[in-house]
Amino acid sequence: MTQEATKTKATFPSVDWFNAVKEIVNNDENYKRIGTCDSVVGVKVPDLGKFYSLTFEAFEVADVREVSEGDAEDSDFWLEMSSERWKEMIQNISENGKADLHHTLNTIDLEDPDGLARSNDGYRRDAFYRFNQTFQYFFDASAQVDTTFS
Amino acid sequence: MADATTADIPADLAKVAEEKGIPLDVVQRALALGFPADLVKGQLGMPDTTPEAAEAFVAEQERIRAGGEITLSDEMTAAAAEAKWPEDLIKRALRLGAPEAMIINQMKAGIKPEQAEAFIAQQEALRAGGGAPQLDLSWMKVPTEWGIRVRPTKHGLTIGAINVGTYGDIPDYWPYQTEMPRGAYPIPGVPSMGYSIFDKAELWADNAADLYEEAIQRRWRPAMDVPWDTMEPLPDEIEKAMCQLCTALCEKALVTGDIIGKWLPEMSYGYHEVKLYLSTAGFDAARQFEVFRKRALSNGGGMGVQSPGYFHRALIDTRFWTEASSTALLFHNSFLMGLYQIGYYTAHNDAERYIFSGTMQDISRQMAYAMQHLRYFLLRKPDRRDEMQHALNKNEAVFSYEWSKDTPLREALLILLGGGTSAEQLADGEVKFRYFWKRWINDYAFRLAGAGLPDRREKMHPQLREFITQPEEEKEQAAA
Repeated sequence: MTQEATKTKATFPSVDWFNAVKEIVNNDENYKRIGTCDSVVGVKVPDLGKFYSLTFEAFEVADVREVSEGDAEDSDFWLEMSSERWKEMIQNISENGKADLHHTLNTIDLEDPDGLARSNDGYRRDAFYRFNQTFQYFFDASAQVDTTFS
Repeated sequence: MADATTADIPADLAKVAEEKGIPLDVVQRALALGFPADLVKGQLGMPDTTPEAAEAFVAEQERIRAGGEITLSDEMTAAAAEAKWPEDLIKRALRLGAPEAMIINQMKAGIKPEQAEAFIAQQEALRAGGGAPQLDLSWMKVPTEWGIRVRPTKHGLTIGAINVGTYGDIPDYWPYQTEMPRGAYPIPGVPSMGYSIFDKAELWADNAADLYEEAIQRRWRPAMDVPWDTMEPLPDEIEKAMCQLCTALCEKALVTGDIIGKWLPEMSYGYHEVKLYLSTAGFDAARQFEVFRKRALSNGGGMGVQSPGYFHRALIDTRFWTEASSTALLFHNSFLMGLYQIGYYTAHNDAERYIFSGTMQDISRQMAYAMQHLRYFLLRKPDRRDEMQHALNKNEAVFSYEWSKDTPLREALLILLGGGTSAEQLADGEVKFRYFWKRWINDYAFRLAGAGLPDRREKMHPQLREFITQPEEEKEQAAA
């Protein structure tokens, strides 16, 4: 008899979805081994009017919350895509276990003339590059979540 | 006679005595006189030590210790006269138990009286203290802040976390020219080490301590962490273009390392956070050289053509650290970030993707330091703002000239972006190149604004400024 790991079900975008990924990475020793990450990251899904703030602190994701658009932008940087583009990325991660070459945060950022990672501060925006491996690991961990889309 | 009843004989000493037929009573009396057990063992083990000689020696020592007169032999007197050892010195050595033959040999070997005096005095002190050396210990009364007990935080025990009390006082000017750590107690007369940067504003960045910890924790190992086995043969012109890019990146890593290595010895130790971080930046530069050389030599290609080098020379010729860090770690790194982004965008395998994301991570730390340092410098030395603008004017001009001469790198980038050398591919490559070129220049301007030079976008070299997106243009693009 085979056993399948029970995946947490959550809908993207939602606090529950981000919390599900947060639980996964906070219990993953490999995430800690990447190294310290201190950054407040906004997430914007403008066409759905959904905005979130993720706080990365030391070796864990410390906080996840739904916020206003202004608060999402009051971060080191925010990640902004349409819901369709978010869905494409997360589905790619789910199908492959991690983002393929065309769906990493870096690739998406480079292909978008406005950039995926945006900020009001040239210094703070670079946190996207400084801790990119951590953020990619976070989103790749969503492969372990049974995601549905709103 | 010494009280021999209380001296315990170690087992190995007793064994040697038994083998030489020396009564244990003699051994006990020697120990009771204060001779260390290992010294007694060594003497007993000498070839000419007989039971009679051992008894005679111990008896003589007991007589001397009881106040008996010490008489020097004629041989000893003659040797002492020649070596100019005072008679009293010799008697003290004999009183300590040094054999006459040994003392004579020392004199004939050229041991000076003052050398003997130091040794004999030390032995006398040891004997008087029951074996413990006489210590100074005045250093224990050092008047530095004591009782510090910093505990680890969720970040661990970091460099920043131990900046407490007086140890966290980072003065605007560091008056010491040595490696004395901040918070330690200075002693006068220590020779100067020749540092030239003592002014905090000339090197400080508030994020230096954090960047050091980040660099240590987030380091990666090209030899083992890059998935080299994911590389497969590429079309010839693509491999050549990638190798040319890697060659250029190797050179740029070397010059960055040279700049950091040149300026680190100038920085005084009052600002160890900055020195520690820049040491990791030097290590990052070495890693960059390493990984790009490895990429060039691991997939059927090789090294390419050297770059013209004009800008490298401009980097080395920078005259103060803020100019060097702004030019190398902020301006040049913004350009490098653009190259790394092209490398990532055109990556053909997981190995290349890993390499370019790792190097992007490393130089973004360097830019973070440079931005925070420039901001700190401009806040505290606003009169030098124009000087910084002039420095960037000059260095941007040299860079633009270098770029105009670096045909191999420019063409390699077109080929990578277009995916080949056909006319159609090169045309596509040109469009993408302009996109990335515009991107890195705008990112550079954005970083300068974050560092306190928002007006640099208007003052930038014309060949760079033409790519700056103007606010009205941004609004039109957004509306479209």
